[in-house]
Amino acid sequence: MSKLVVPIGPQHPLLKEPLSFRLTVEGERVTESAMRLGYVHRGIERLCQTRTYVQNIHLLERVCGICSHVHTTTYCRAVEALAGLELPPRALHLRALLCELERIHSHMLWLGVLARNVGFDTIFMYAWRDREIVLDIMEDLSGGRVSHAVNVIGGVRIDLDDAHRDTILQQLDLLEDQVEWLLGVVEHERTLQARTRGIGVLTLADVRRYCVVGPVARASGLDIDLRRDDRQAPYDQMHYEVPVHDAGDVWARTLVRVKEAVESVHLCRQILDTLPAGAVSVRAPRRIPAGEAVTRSEAPRGEVIYYVRSDGSDHPARVKIRTPTLTSLITLPDQLRDVAMADVSVVLSGVDLCIACADR
Amino acid sequence: MMALYRLLVFPGFGFLFVCAMLFDWIDRRVIARTQERVGPPWYQPLADFIKLLAKEDVRTEGVHEVAAAGLPIVSLASVLTAALYVPVGGVAAASYEGDLIVVLFLLSVPALAYFLAGWISPGVYSVIGGHRSLLQYFSYEVPFMMALASPAVLAGSWRIMSIVAYQGQATWLALIQPLGFLLAIVGLIGKLKRDPLDIPKAKSEVVGGPLTEYSGRKMAIWHLAMDMQTVVGIFLLVNLFLGESRFLEALPAFPVFGAKALAILLLLSMASALYARLRIDQLANLGWRVLAPLALLQVMATLWVGG
Repeated sequence: MSKLVVPIGPQHPLLKEPLSFRLTVEGERVTESAMRLGYVHRGIERLCQTRTYVQNIHLLERVCGICSHVHTTTYCRAVEALAGLELPPRALHLRALLCELERIHSHMLWLGVLARNVGFDTIFMYAWRDREIVLDIMEDLSGGRVSHAVNVIGGVRIDLDDAHRDTILQQLDLLEDQVEWLLGVVEHERTLQARTRGIGVLTLADVRRYCVVGPVARASGLDIDLRRDDRQAPYDQMHYEVPVHDAGDVWARTLVRVKEAVESVHLCRQILDTLPAGAVSVRAPRRIPAGEAVTRSEAPRGEVIYYVRSDGSDHPARVKIRTPTLTSLITLPDQLRDVAMADVSVVLSGVDLCIACADR
Repeated sequence: MMALYRLLVFPGFGFLFVCAMLFDWIDRRVIARTQERVGPPWYQPLADFIKLLAKEDVRTEGVHEVAAAGLPIVSLASVLTAALYVPVGGVAAASYEGDLIVVLFLLSVPALAYFLAGWISPGVYSVIGGHRSLLQYFSYEVPFMMALASPAVLAGSWRIMSIVAYQGQATWLALIQPLGFLLAIVGLIGKLKRDPLDIPKAKSEVVGGPLTEYSGRKMAIWHLAMDMQTVVGIFLLVNLFLGESRFLEALPAFPVFGAKALAILLLLSMASALYARLRIDQLANLGWRVLAPLALLQVMATLWVGG
């Protein structure tokens, strides 16, 4: 069989964002792969040093389109830790509400993309139709469907009254039905399983070696979730399950993500039901005292870490971001070894890459 | 004069062109409604065809120009020739003993032309798509041919019109040979490279497959050939499995034929909407381990009963 070098990217119908793979293919088998990143590197970490802390919120929201809120949340928590601010509980609840809504949005979007990449357009259309419910909720809350600009240093800038809260609860009921139906499809539909079972297997040892985080790690049996493990407020008062699977293949990742979406709906309901009264923000100083802070959050793709160093002025001295996609990217050469050409799209979809996050 | 009318108007090129556009529209509309979308308006396939004719025909470096231009034309020509012998509502341009075999051979030509289109292109996606299309051809063609041979064996004739008339005496062969009917439908999905068997042109895997480098007029001819192949394939299945029926004799032949064709088109559209795409090795497995033995079973059962 002759050897062909198949380029996947930087432009390819499979990829949402530019990424470059050179796959050496013999017949239908991939024998080697070479990966290249950096096509959407925008130098955001450097740009952070030239802007004030407040301006950076606007900038860091745009690291990623889908996990925008969790990036600004983590950043604001770091800055608030440096400034020694104590946030009102209502602000923490509202931030968590948007985090969970974003998680549902991300997983629905991802499910549609996976379905499209295995030729299952119908599930793509259904998942993105249900995603519209989440986008409507987020738009009512913040004014933006995908990018919300909800965080300020010291809290959030949005609030809701009881009528609005009841509307959201109704929409969540509808959303829960739809997401549970999609979970049923993933669990029982045979052609989807035929394409995703046994593909891209990562064992627990692999996951530990590569420090994989997020749903990819949970699908291989590693029970980690920062919301629970770090006892972050307000999650410490909520009841929810962290779905874990041990198959480690793309189907396990699909199951974990859709189950997480279901759990997120339950969490949103609990957040709204236990929403405490009070202010939604505290006043933050313009100059942040000198120091270092490290914060981490459970983004839809896993653990996102922010390191912020302040020198006492109103510009941060350094902002360093470690996004979860980086850990998934490192596992790709392993996963792409000796797979069929058709499975490349499944593997790449399965790890839920957010290249904008990885490149910054 | 009559021959010219049959060739060019009905059931020849003009009629087939209208049917190709109509069937493509119905297919896209049904799939869209299944996915809770609106779907394209009735003139969309025609608009797409005209748009493609007007687009720039990109010359790919390293491709034999005459071959690249000739392959879509050969595809279209073989489909149109096959259509001569497939009756529509009882009317065919020509009919003779053995025309079923001629039709089956002619309908194999587009698959080979499709493979060659990938083979002569220097692009990686085209070559891989070409490999896949040939592997797919070997997976579905044998069960498909056997499934279509069973009606001929039972009816005792290799003439399509005789098979149709035989069903008028007995009943629809879809009811007598349901296994054969099912295999013919699956084989047709593979032949037409429709989802879930659109493996050679899987957009997320090989971008456009063998036709990645095609555009403009040549692409318009390719699309027309594929749409017409859909029409001729469906008509063939209607004739062989849903032929004449005593119970529907009073009704006018043409609308009844149209209704049957639409029923099969609906089956194909639903199959496209409801399943994920297969992998090529899964199709090869399916073709040789499941479909071919079942087709053999069907043929043997027919021989045992009929002979």
